[in-house]
Order: sequence, then structure tokens, then C-alpha cells
Amino acid sequence: MTKTFTRNDLIRYIYQETTEREKQEIEQKLLLDNKLFEEYKNLAEVSMELDRVDLSPSEKTINKILNFSKSINLHSA
Amino acid sequence: MNRNEVSDKKLVSAYIKGNEEAFELLVERHKNRVFTTINLIVRDNYLAEDLLQETFIKAIKTIKSGRYNEEGKFLPWILRIAHNLAIDYFRRDKRYPTMVLEDGSAVFNNLDFSEDSYESLQIQKDTHDRLKQFIEELPLVQREVLVMRHYMNMSFKEIAEVSGVSINTALGRMRYALINLRKKITVNRSAYDKNLYPK
Repeated sequence: MTKTFTRNDLIRYIYQETTEREKQEIEQKLLLDNKLFEEYKNLAEVSMELDRVDLSPSEKTINKILNFSKSINLHSA
Repeated sequence: MNRNEVSDKKLVSAYIKGNEEAFELLVERHKNRVFTTINLIVRDNYLAEDLLQETFIKAIKTIKSGRYNEEGKFLPWILRIAHNLAIDYFRRDKRYPTMVLEDGSAVFNNLDFSEDSYESLQIQKDTHDRLKQFIEELPLVQREVLVMRHYMNMSFKEIAEVSGVSINTALGRMRYALINLRKKITVNRSAYDKNLYPK
């Protein structure tokens, strides 16, 4: 990384928006800096937790959507 | 046909040709992600159900009228529709900045869980309920970036463009969102432990 490393770069790293070179440099820094690694670990854990929020709509709503789809045929116009 | 092996692109193509079962698979595959995105923005289960329906109806009309761009990907496309409808709702009703937290108890009955023992279900439910609540408690700008990046899979560059802020600002908001959530989760765990193991 030619620019100065910032905490925001950790976020780009967690969300896999770094270049391959940046990724390697961040990983190098993480190995050498315990405090930074701790922050990374904490933020990455929360990010993984977020995947668990998975809400389901009701069957009723899904059926309405599917029925609507079956009821219209705009191609024939 | 293995339901998970068929790509969204193939399903959309089949749907364009009139295969309703293909659409059913698309809905089944993405309903939770779209619903979660809407729900975390509007913080109201009933409204989220309505907006989900509106989102898919808009998608159906676009696809069936031959206006769908097959080059794009289905999920990001439908998530954009969902996000726009959720934001439009607030703009229309001028409720956006001052939305009051709803009870939301009905939402919690609809959470998906992968394990099936009663105890594990209960623990997961408690954790997920709280996490959802913590997300809802985040400042609006942080919550928006979090939803766009994590649930809509938008890049920080795209988020910056849509929000009219710099990429660094978007990154900073995401970072603070994660830090705030981390704090809330830690406090919550600590309180939970004290209840479980009182001195």
C-alpha cells in the first residue's frame, strides 16, 4: 500500500474490497500489530454475526406474489 | 432439477419464457434477503411485508414486459428496487428522520433458524432478536450504510455515490456501525452472564 494505512482500510479488508497487494500488506500489518489484530477480530466477528439476521416474510405474502405473477401475462400485449 | 445448481440468470430466462416454477425458485431463494433488507430499513414488520410484495410485483411487471436487462444480476437488481421503495416510503410520508422504533414483536416470530432443538432455537432467537434490535438502534446514517453494504452487497464506492458522501465517509460510518454493535453485543453478553451466574 503506498498510502498511509487507516482504520477504514480494515473495513475494506473485511468486506474484501482491497486489491491483492493491499490485502497482503494489511495481513502483514495484522501479524505485527496485536492491537490492530484485536480490532480486526472484533469487527470481523460482528460482521459475521450480521449474517445471522435472516428474516422471513409470511407465507401469505409469498403466495400473493406468486399468484400475482401467474395472473398476468404482459407478453401477449 | 437441483434447485441450488440453477443460476439466477437461467431462472430469469426460464421465467421470461413463461416458466412460473422458475420464478417460484427465485422468490424462494431471495425472499429472506430482500425482506431482511426492507425490514432493517423500515423497522416495521407489516410495512416490510407490503413493501416486499410491492418489490416483487414491480420486478414481475418489468420482467414480463420484456424490460429486464439480462446482463445484470437478479439479486442486486431486486435489492435496489426494495431499497428504493423503502426509502421512497419514508420520503412520501416524511417519516424518514424521525421514525419511531416499533414494537416489532411479530417480526421475531419469523426468524429463520438452522438448528432444531428447542434450547438452541431459544438461544439463537434471543441472540437474533437482540442483534436486530441493536441494528435498529444505530444512528440512521450508520444503519443505512450497514444495510447497503452487508445485506445489499453494494460496494463502498456505490454506497458513496448513492448517499452523496465520500468513500471514506461511507467506510467510517460502516466502521462505527460495527464498533457500536460490538459494544452493544458485549454489554448484552455481560448482562446475560450476570443473570446466568449471579455472585
